[in-house]
Amino acid sequence: MVRPGRLDVRERVERGTVTVWVEGELDLSTIPVLEQHVDAQIGGGRTALTLDMSGVTFMDSSGLRYLIVLNERAQREGWPVSLVAPAHESARLVLEMTGADRALPFRGPARP
Amino acid sequence: MASHRVELSERLRMVENDREQLVEELRGLLRGSERRFDAVVGSLGDAVTIRDREHRFIYANAAALAHLGFDSWEQLRETAPETIMSDYLVSGEDGREIAMEDIPSVRILRGEPAEPLLIRTVHRNTGEQRWNLLKAAPLLGEGGEVEATIMIIEEVTERKRTELHSTFLARASDALASSLDYEQTLRNVAELAVPEIADWCAVDLLGEDGARRTVAVAHVDPEQLSLARELRSRVPDRLDPEQGLGRVLRTGEPELYERITDEMLAQAALDERHLQLLRRLRFRSLVIVPMRLGERILGAMTLVSAESARALDRHDLRLAEQVAARAAVAIENSRLYSERSAIARTLQQSLLPEQLPEIPGCELSSLYLPAQRASLVGGDFYDVWAAAEGWMLVIGDVTGKGVEAAALTALVRHTLRAASEFDTSPARLLALLDATLKKRPSLSVCTALCLRVQGDTATLAVGGHPLPLLVAPGQVRALGQHGPLLGAFPEVRWQDFTLRLEPGSTLVAYTDGITDARGEGEARFGLARLRDTLQELAERPAAEMMQVLAARVERFQAGAHTDDTAAIALRRLPRRAPERPHSGRLSALRQRSLGPSA
Repeated sequence: MVRPGRLDVRERVERGTVTVWVEGELDLSTIPVLEQHVDAQIGGGRTALTLDMSGVTFMDSSGLRYLIVLNERAQREGWPVSLVAPAHESARLVLEMTGADRALPFRGPARP
Repeated sequence: MASHRVELSERLRMVENDREQLVEELRGLLRGSERRFDAVVGSLGDAVTIRDREHRFIYANAAALAHLGFDSWEQLRETAPETIMSDYLVSGEDGREIAMEDIPSVRILRGEPAEPLLIRTVHRNTGEQRWNLLKAAPLLGEGGEVEATIMIIEEVTERKRTELHSTFLARASDALASSLDYEQTLRNVAELAVPEIADWCAVDLLGEDGARRTVAVAHVDPEQLSLARELRSRVPDRLDPEQGLGRVLRTGEPELYERITDEMLAQAALDERHLQLLRRLRFRSLVIVPMRLGERILGAMTLVSAESARALDRHDLRLAEQVAARAAVAIENSRLYSERSAIARTLQQSLLPEQLPEIPGCELSSLYLPAQRASLVGGDFYDVWAAAEGWMLVIGDVTGKGVEAAALTALVRHTLRAASEFDTSPARLLALLDATLKKRPSLSVCTALCLRVQGDTATLAVGGHPLPLLVAPGQVRALGQHGPLLGAFPEVRWQDFTLRLEPGSTLVAYTDGITDARGEGEARFGLARLRDTLQELAERPAAEMMQVLAARVERFQAGAHTDDTAAIALRRLPRRAPERPHSGRLSALRQRSLGPSA
């Protein structure tokens, strides 16, 4: 059996901006969980989204792919998205290694 | 059914409310003038009985007589209640056996509260099953003592059967939808059927070669289970097409044997031991339904009633057919899914070179551990080929799944192979690949490490991929420079990095499947473990290095590979290695490498 990775997702909506905090492992097994949360919040495409991944301890290529898809969708539908990079080194490395840290809209940590 | 029930409870209330009148009537009844009482209760559709303190019948209306299977009141009056009860197997809703003293009217006589009681009765001879709701009330004498008990028997067989069947159907559907491992789900369904629907349940599948295979056997009694299994194992794979299971599998038509006689067992038995088993399993009644999709018969489900003595009937047949129809769809879905996964896997693996070419002066070896979860056929790939100048080596990871990922892998490889005929710079090859990927209609991204080897010099460019490790005795170094993922970001570029491949050193390129391999808990194989492993193997041949690394990763991994895992090792043979006859070119290169730097 394949054990699913662990991922906790919390969100807060404030003045039209949704902040989603994710903690744990962002990989093939947990992406659907995050996807569900985000889709539920940005239904209609009118909301600004901040995805705070400072608590992400692991990210693989499917996690990265999700970020690229999310960013493309935001641009297409015209809502702002900003990302907060993982503090954890291994997850951060994936973003640095792929150039995603420069190409995707990263900013400082979101206010908790 | 619901309105019927309300009506009944109202009647019961009426009986309770008019107790004074009823007691009056009862006194008359006890005096022998039952005519008026019978006029009140006799016409009720529900069975009503009154028993005295010794629990003998003193009254039963027409419905009660019919319910208990008696033609006349006199006949009932002369029969002891225990005798009547002994004709039936009586159990409660939970399957627990019900004895005389549990009956509400008997409890009232003992001075206990008597809640309505739902019982299942199975007639020992006919096997007919009924569900009855028993409600009782005391009839008190003038001094407040219990003179008699009145009991109403409401037959709820149809309602209870509908409830049981729909619950079972819902649970079976859930079980069938819960997993793509259809053999396991069929086992779960068989377990669900026991004991509420049948005493045992078996599921047989028909292979493409026409042979039958039992995939599930569930029995209410664990001790009988081994007998049931033995019985199933004695049945030949190819069955008599003219009877029982063999006929169902041939014709696709269900069969119902409401009552199985010993003669039938003897006729069906294959040999003495088989007959013995059939008898010990006390086959009473049997339903066999096909699992079919249109004209295709995938297998059959068998329900058997034995210990419970009840006869399976057309209702059970109907239920079994519904479950079998759902099971057939689940089996088909699972097969289609496995087939699709297998196609994707085959396609992906067919994209890996069957054999690595021989690069003069070098050893080349690879490892590939495909993702084991069917749906996640990943997209790790590698390739080595002779290019315009020197050799090209590429390793990468296409994100995405299944056939789509395989198609993308093919595109990536062919693009790089074709371009390498004209361009020698790995960075420019990656830029070209990036442009090709961006022209695709859907997001197509991949990581790639591209390396050109020419003699002792190698040039590499990296797009979103882990940097390769250069392994030499005493040191392991990551080389090169990270460049962006391919096909993902606008306005990006890659850089060539040149290195020298010293004799005896090995360049190892890998995909993140190795470092991301998950062990116990949260642990990952990680870069440190990879470096240590390679360091330890620094002086080993490339093939051994890859074999040992694959074994270490597999041993580390707690579950299945969730991702593809690939690595490739290029080792420059040490100087002391014997010259190969065809390595004229190698000698020339070596001389050059021995030049200024030596």
